[in-house]
Amino acid sequence: MSDSKDFITGVNSNAKKEPRRVVFVTRRTSPQVRVTDEEVVQTFPEVFFRTAIAVEVLAIVLVGIALLLNAPLEGIADPSHTPNPAKAPWYFLGLQEMLHYFPPVVAGVLVPTLVVIALVVIPYFNINVEAEGLFLKDRARRLPIFYAGAIGLSIFLINFDVYVALVPTLIVVALMLVAAQSTTSSPSRFRRYLAARPLSFWIMSWFLFELVVLTTVGTLFRGPGWSWVWPWRS
Amino acid sequence: MPEEEKDQQLDAKELDRRSFFVKLGLGSLSIATAGTAVFAYQFLSPNVLYEPSPIINAGKPESYPLNSVTLDVNSGIYIIHAKEGFFSLSAVCTHLGCLTAWKPELGIIACPCHGSKFNQDGQKIEGPAPRPLPWYRVWLSDDGELMVDRSTTVRSLQFLRV
Amino acid sequence: MATSANYFDQLRKTRVWRSIFRSGTGTSTLRRSLVIQQDVFLHLFPTKVRRRMLEFSVTWYLGSLTFGMFVILVITGILLMLYYHPSVPQAYADTKDLQFVVSSGLFLRNLHRWSAHAMVFLVFAHMFKVFYRGAYRPPREFNWVIGVILLLTTLLLSYTGYLLPWDQLAFWAITVGSNIASAVPVFGNKIHFLLLGGNLVNANALLRFYVLHCVILPLTAILFIAIHFWRIRKDGGLYVHASDSGSAKAAKEAQ
Repeated sequence: MSDSKDFITGVNSNAKKEPRRVVFVTRRTSPQVRVTDEEVVQTFPEVFFRTAIAVEVLAIVLVGIALLLNAPLEGIADPSHTPNPAKAPWYFLGLQEMLHYFPPVVAGVLVPTLVVIALVVIPYFNINVEAEGLFLKDRARRLPIFYAGAIGLSIFLINFDVYVALVPTLIVVALMLVAAQSTTSSPSRFRRYLAARPLSFWIMSWFLFELVVLTTVGTLFRGPGWSWVWPWRS
Repeated sequence: MPEEEKDQQLDAKELDRRSFFVKLGLGSLSIATAGTAVFAYQFLSPNVLYEPSPIINAGKPESYPLNSVTLDVNSGIYIIHAKEGFFSLSAVCTHLGCLTAWKPELGIIACPCHGSKFNQDGQKIEGPAPRPLPWYRVWLSDDGELMVDRSTTVRSLQFLRV
Repeated sequence: MATSANYFDQLRKTRVWRSIFRSGTGTSTLRRSLVIQQDVFLHLFPTKVRRRMLEFSVTWYLGSLTFGMFVILVITGILLMLYYHPSVPQAYADTKDLQFVVSSGLFLRNLHRWSAHAMVFLVFAHMFKVFYRGAYRPPREFNWVIGVILLLTTLLLSYTGYLLPWDQLAFWAITVGSNIASAVPVFGNKIHFLLLGGNLVNANALLRFYVLHCVILPLTAILFIAIHFWRIRKDGGLYVHASDSGSAKAAKEAQ
């Protein structure tokens, strides 16, 4: 299935003279029935016991951890004394790191809202459903947009001194440049892999990378007054 | 023929692999369940209670005149100074737990809920109460104060002579 | 003769047992289907699934593990509730009591806290795994949206639970977090006021977070989890791309 067109015409017809019904099959916009006679198994016991065992194993690990490590508990809440630093739980530390650079309305409201909206709309965009390699199609139009976006974002981050977010961005941009220079028949497997990655992959991977980096920085590299600390020195 | 029977008997006593694993599984499951039940029971029974102590300090014996019946509503006991000595009754009606009251004009202890009446020694005169009012252990502390232990009942007609 | 097995079999033939369980287990496909179909909770699932969905490499079982974490959290949470008074400053004393006085209290508190962290981590991992294998594509778009709702519910559950010990960590994390809420344009201060039941993080705030954490958000989560499982079934089961499944690869190579 290596059609370059989006559709296959069924029959050529003069619609006014002889109206005929024509079928257009668009690529990869619906679940493809590849295997019509799939092997099925009983939910009980196949799914039931596999799930039970998986959950049991994780439960045993957690019970072990619960027996060995204590949940933290500090002194009683004291409104008159703010600890330094006052850190949110780890899954919010990425957000708290961003609050260091941007005002609360941006880092605390705008960005999370945009992230949630972006997540929700992913499956409703055709470009994500088709999942073609980003630079394999429409290259002349997409490459300049990519350059503009990458440079714009980098300048924005440099302007606000958000170096922790800049480094992952630059790494992802570098990988995208390699992808732009590769095709599905490139010599190395890595470059073929990159070339086939769609836009949704790049955006989501950038998001995941940023999430990990910002959370790690917030957890390990921030000390009193949200100042930068090297974790192996404190 | 007897040999075949012997073989069958042997097979009946031997465990095949499936039964072994079923037994092993069910066995460890029962042990885990029993252990969980024990720990659950221990968890659900509080080790520390934030309730008032059953030991009451009733003050100096001199503050209780002879032949007086004094109700302490906070601790639910009567301090009675009889001619034989001091004793303490529970003020909680043995029927369904209402707080009784001393009626000096009638010389009885009466429960307002269902009409049980008790005499000064805690014995039931009338009403649905099944048992007499229990006597609590009393003693004098080292400071010479009357102490009552609500968690310990004693046989009736045991007086503390001061 | 395994007599214990005999007794169990006889028990299962009694009228009382059959009135409760109707059909027993067995190895026939009918019996195995009935186990799923006749159970009020399990009949959310189909009686048969495609074999390719079962392979570990397809999903890493992340969704099921997240749900397992949720079950552990509900059970430990309910047990912890038996010794916790959501008032100030009693909440802190109760947390200390749970750690030092209550039998198994320390274990339950630890298990609750670490399972909570595990659940947040797993729910993110599940989202990324679903995304990277393309299982959000039509007709599964709406289930993806339900998943995002569940992600937000999980984060909110974690956030509201964080305040309950009423220690310094809790108090200031929630102070900072609720001040972010007041940064919302136009409605920010109103939201902040309603969230805390006042202007400060005090007894009202603790009670609201307690009700959110123990009643409102778990019910929301259970509702959306049920819809999430139901949608998987109605959308045609888990999505497995032909190249994901190892058995499909093996089948191809064997041809």
